[in-house]
Amino acid sequence: MKARVLSAVSIILFLTSCAGLQGERVQFDGLSDCPKQTAVEIVAKRHQLGRLSDSHALECTLAVLRDTEDSAMLRSALGARLSLLLAEREVNPEKREKLAAEGVRFAEAALAHGGDEDAEVHYYLAANLGLAVREHITLAVENLDRLQSEMERALALDPAIDNGGPLRLLGALYLQAPPWPQGIGDLDKALELLEKAVADYPGHPINHLFYAQALWHDGNDASINQARAEFAMGKKLLAEGNWGYSKAAWEKEFAAFAQELIELD
Amino acid sequence: MYKTFLTVIASLLASFGAVAAPNPEMIVVCYPGGAVNVKDANGAMTSMLRVVEHVGQWQENSFNSLFTTKTDECKKLIAEHNPRFAITSLGLFLELRNQHNLLPVVQPKIKGRTSERYRVMVQKDKYKSLDELKDKTLGGTVLEEPSFIGKIVFAGKYDPASFFALKSSNQAIRSLRALDKGELDAVMLNEQQFGALDSLHLQTALEAIFTSEEIPLMGVVANSAKTTAEERARFGKALEGMCADVEGKKLCDLFGVESFVNVDEAAFEPVLKLWTEEN
Repeated sequence: MKARVLSAVSIILFLTSCAGLQGERVQFDGLSDCPKQTAVEIVAKRHQLGRLSDSHALECTLAVLRDTEDSAMLRSALGARLSLLLAEREVNPEKREKLAAEGVRFAEAALAHGGDEDAEVHYYLAANLGLAVREHITLAVENLDRLQSEMERALALDPAIDNGGPLRLLGALYLQAPPWPQGIGDLDKALELLEKAVADYPGHPINHLFYAQALWHDGNDASINQARAEFAMGKKLLAEGNWGYSKAAWEKEFAAFAQELIELD
Repeated sequence: MYKTFLTVIASLLASFGAVAAPNPEMIVVCYPGGAVNVKDANGAMTSMLRVVEHVGQWQENSFNSLFTTKTDECKKLIAEHNPRFAITSLGLFLELRNQHNLLPVVQPKIKGRTSERYRVMVQKDKYKSLDELKDKTLGGTVLEEPSFIGKIVFAGKYDPASFFALKSSNQAIRSLRALDKGELDAVMLNEQQFGALDSLHLQTALEAIFTSEEIPLMGVVANSAKTTAEERARFGKALEGMCADVEGKKLCDLFGVESFVNVDEAAFEPVLKLWTEEN
């Protein structure tokens, strides 16, 4: 009983540690159409839920996870991962932030239930947190240290998640954060991490896009030329691969950077 | 130190999508040598302008910003838009003030000061005086405006472009790492960079071989031919109130700015004198 009380306290502490995030959940439509799923069934099919899954399938599973008391489910990164998948494809900014914030809460609950050694928990916590705060300056800066520590932990535990996701996210953080002396931004570290992401996980289009962005920030002629090559490679991978529901959002990222390259010409 | 708050606002992650009013007042923001993404910087500026509008009781989206890190582009933007208000470096203010009737309106106050000193850092005991750095490499983020460095920072005693081999960078940390490894002979730092040196844990001890006189921090300037004293006072007052506003305080904290204060014109006299003496 004492352990349960401590656990509840620690959950509350975790859940309040990212003050300022959206606290309200997105209400899903059509849940009455969802197939009845048990925790055991969800565990069995969790690897099938991903970028190719339609939103309704993800929402049905997430709805079950919202109410689950299954300790294995609570400890896993699944809720955080599904929240991120839904958030990434959500076009309404407010809903996107709510979904990402819920993803943070899922990951924090997983940590509170013993998921600290699970790289995916740290990775999806950071990814959701980044998405939840990216449109809010003060919130973003308040959470920079947390983002950094979660990404570093994920990287130390397993750099291979999501095709080099920890390398990609940490590299992007160093690229986009306020530079020294105001912040943790560090172009040299960004280049190092993103070059490794591209070298070790060359099949993911966003690895190439982020590396291209870092090279573009470097600014010399050789870097700009290499940035164009990385951009072209990423775009080719995006066009030719089956990236499911992530494709539309990623195409927007590519289009935005393409505009910056055009403005440079 | 003016660059303190500009660097922060300009390099944040946010990208705000506020819809501009039909004819928003354009504020040109120039940050020479900044390691920032123009799109992100404009977004960050937008959030600051919303607070200024709120505090100054202007209609939302009355102001919009145009941001650049390039001195030539800054001059072009100011010539094209002829803005009533702008945020510039001290060097650009001095260069453009006659042509565009620029007057400083407010200054940021940082750690109780509205001025800063620039320093030339070298590896400890490697050089004894600035004269020994003749033809040696000098790096840093503050070298984008060599006229300002020569006339104001060095008070006309050295022409940086001919005295040093300049290695300008938009990454202060990269210049300092190069100095640490001996790839650069010296690096020029502003006050904030100097104050944060300990956080870098460099291998080699550094020392300042040159320290400038106090140089005023720059904030907002106005075109005195296009603004009335009342308009300048209103804009200045809004900025002065920014750090006391709930949302504004968060931004001020981010910028590392305690407050914005009315310009002390006397503080600008020495730099104006140095600048005109050389012209």
